[in-house]
Amino acid sequence: MNRRVFLKNAIAVSGAAIGYSVWMSPLAATSRKNRQFLRPPGALPEPEFVSRCIQCLRCVDACPNHAIITLSESSDKLLQGTPTLKPRRQACMLCNKIEGEFLKCTEACPTGALQPVSKDPSGIQQKVAIGTAEIDKALCYSYNNYICGSCYRACPFPGKAMTLGMWEKPEVHAEFCVGCGLCERSCIMYPQAIRVKPRGC
Amino acid sequence: MTGQKPQHIMLQLLRRCSQIFIVAVIIALPFFSLYEHYRAANAIDDIQLMSGLRGKVLALIDNRFSLTDDPQVILENFKGTLWSMRFAGIEISDPLAVAEMTASSGTVYIPFILSAVIPVMLTLILGRIFCSWICPANLMFEIANKLRSILKFAEIQTPEIEFSLNNKYLILGTGLIVASIVSQPLLSFIYPPAVLSRMTHAVIFGTASAGMIILMLLLAGIEVFISPRWWCRTMCPGAALYALIGWPRLLRVRIAEHRCNKCGKCEKVCEPGINPVADSDGIECTNCGKCIKVCTESALKFSVGLPPIKRNLRTHVKKLSNVVLFSGIAVMLFLALPPPACCHHILGLPHYSYKENYPQAPTLEYPASSGPYDVLLTSYPGKPVPKEAASLSFYIKNRITGEPYDKPISIRVLETFTFGRSSVVLKPTVCEPFERPYKLYVTFPDDGEYVVELMMDVEGRSEVIPFLLIAGEPSAATSVLITAGVLLILFIITVRAIKIKRARHTAGA
Repeated sequence: MNRRVFLKNAIAVSGAAIGYSVWMSPLAATSRKNRQFLRPPGALPEPEFVSRCIQCLRCVDACPNHAIITLSESSDKLLQGTPTLKPRRQACMLCNKIEGEFLKCTEACPTGALQPVSKDPSGIQQKVAIGTAEIDKALCYSYNNYICGSCYRACPFPGKAMTLGMWEKPEVHAEFCVGCGLCERSCIMYPQAIRVKPRGC
Repeated sequence: MTGQKPQHIMLQLLRRCSQIFIVAVIIALPFFSLYEHYRAANAIDDIQLMSGLRGKVLALIDNRFSLTDDPQVILENFKGTLWSMRFAGIEISDPLAVAEMTASSGTVYIPFILSAVIPVMLTLILGRIFCSWICPANLMFEIANKLRSILKFAEIQTPEIEFSLNNKYLILGTGLIVASIVSQPLLSFIYPPAVLSRMTHAVIFGTASAGMIILMLLLAGIEVFISPRWWCRTMCPGAALYALIGWPRLLRVRIAEHRCNKCGKCEKVCEPGINPVADSDGIECTNCGKCIKVCTESALKFSVGLPPIKRNLRTHVKKLSNVVLFSGIAVMLFLALPPPACCHHILGLPHYSYKENYPQAPTLEYPASSGPYDVLLTSYPGKPVPKEAASLSFYIKNRITGEPYDKPISIRVLETFTFGRSSVVLKPTVCEPFERPYKLYVTFPDDGEYVVELMMDVEGRSEVIPFLLIAGEPSAATSVLITAGVLLILFIITVRAIKIKRARHTAGA
């Protein structure tokens, strides 16, 4: 083998790749300091999550509610293929009425990017932080002289994560909201008046 | 022909069967989990209503599984992709995934490392068989190189540039370093078996991205037009890792030197591109057995043995540390078996979003902005059905004050065609801010691409915001053009080949 050719290749390839990564890593780091996308329950903080996720799609397969999907190319080039949730399409039902000790996706993750979350309400309250629901009061039916309350009926922690005011006006309490998105799924408005926003751990 | 013994031909046949079996597995696993989703949602009957190939395959799985008492128990144990999967209840991950995740996260996650025990053990015993017997990308590239021989038949010269076999160790090392710098596993974007497997999964789940397909076509194109067996021999980081792990393999190709007549046939067919006569003991050999098949003198054969440390010590001493590390881990992990499988029953889920014919929640959103305003278009149903009224709603909100827009807007809908032609579907219609958001019913005449133009007043100016909408399932003009192009090229090659052969025939006569 021609050693000189190989050494030239070596310097070119490794120099280019390492240079590229050094140039890119601060860019990627700033964009990942805060969570931009909704991640499945039990996800580590965004930078660690990204460093561990190998995009094997095991959580996508495991989700019994078909809720976990992958990020598309158009949302983020480098993060494409990592799991995300789109509650309006299908929300996380926190593995309600499903046998087993842990949430299915957290159990399936081989790399620990999703840490196992036990299924009892207190475990979910402590460990699940997908995001926080936010109400757009300009759009919400109940805040615009009608009476609705369907998001409150969908909430898995009624009375804690969400309370109703006068004429079924919903109110979200961020400290209890796990971001499952069942409220967003159930919203009768098009576009939806309540949305889950990503939240860092 | 004295050399082509039936058992060696059988071996190659077996190798093909194994490769095809793996392809079947990576197609079957996503279908299994899709089927399990439907089953978990008590929506099995909807499979009968599904259209297309997907529905047929799911119905086939249903026929097979509805006879068993508890399909969930079986289905739970078959999940994932080639990058990391649960097969027959055993967790299996690619050693490359393990190495990269460890490098990128800087943590040692024991369950994940345990899942690489089986591939590492197999490689320690049988060598780089992942490449030759399992890898679907290898199969794809072998097919690409068959195309090369078609080109050769048509006497079209394609360059055969050779690259250094050591490049792949470089890619592996650089990949791991880059992964640890950016702290994200990046090799999964280029490692073909992982990409192919995830691509299949995405196609079956209906979320395929063009990037993956383009990358695979590009690699196959390089194989055909620039350098034969380029990826597997000189670029693949996985091949590099398996080669390093497989160095102390027990099964290896050995040569009986007194029988060899130096014909060089084995060198021509060698998959990893080495000379089996001189270098069959090196780490590059994939144990594919092709050289054994072509050897007319039966000089090459599989044998059990340890690596010839003395002869190649100097060349291997640099890579030895890696081997020691991996064999150490493997022996350690051999004592601790992977965790046993556990089973669950899944019942009682909402079913509505599984029905293809049930009106879907409008998940397609078309965001836009103009001046201080954010505009959001949602359509119901998400993908409008031709000849049925679709509800379009526009929600316009001031980004700064949070106040919704409250002046009338004007909407126009155009159908666009391939060559820039367009026709008006809906003449400009004024929507009053009677109720938030602005609502409008539009009937799209047929499958195709449409532009919805929103005209609104932004800070005194009149602005037009276009939204691109697809109704039904238009046949993409580009895919038709590409297919036609490929067929045309194949036709030209065939005609050329026939012409050349015929001219030679007449000249010879």
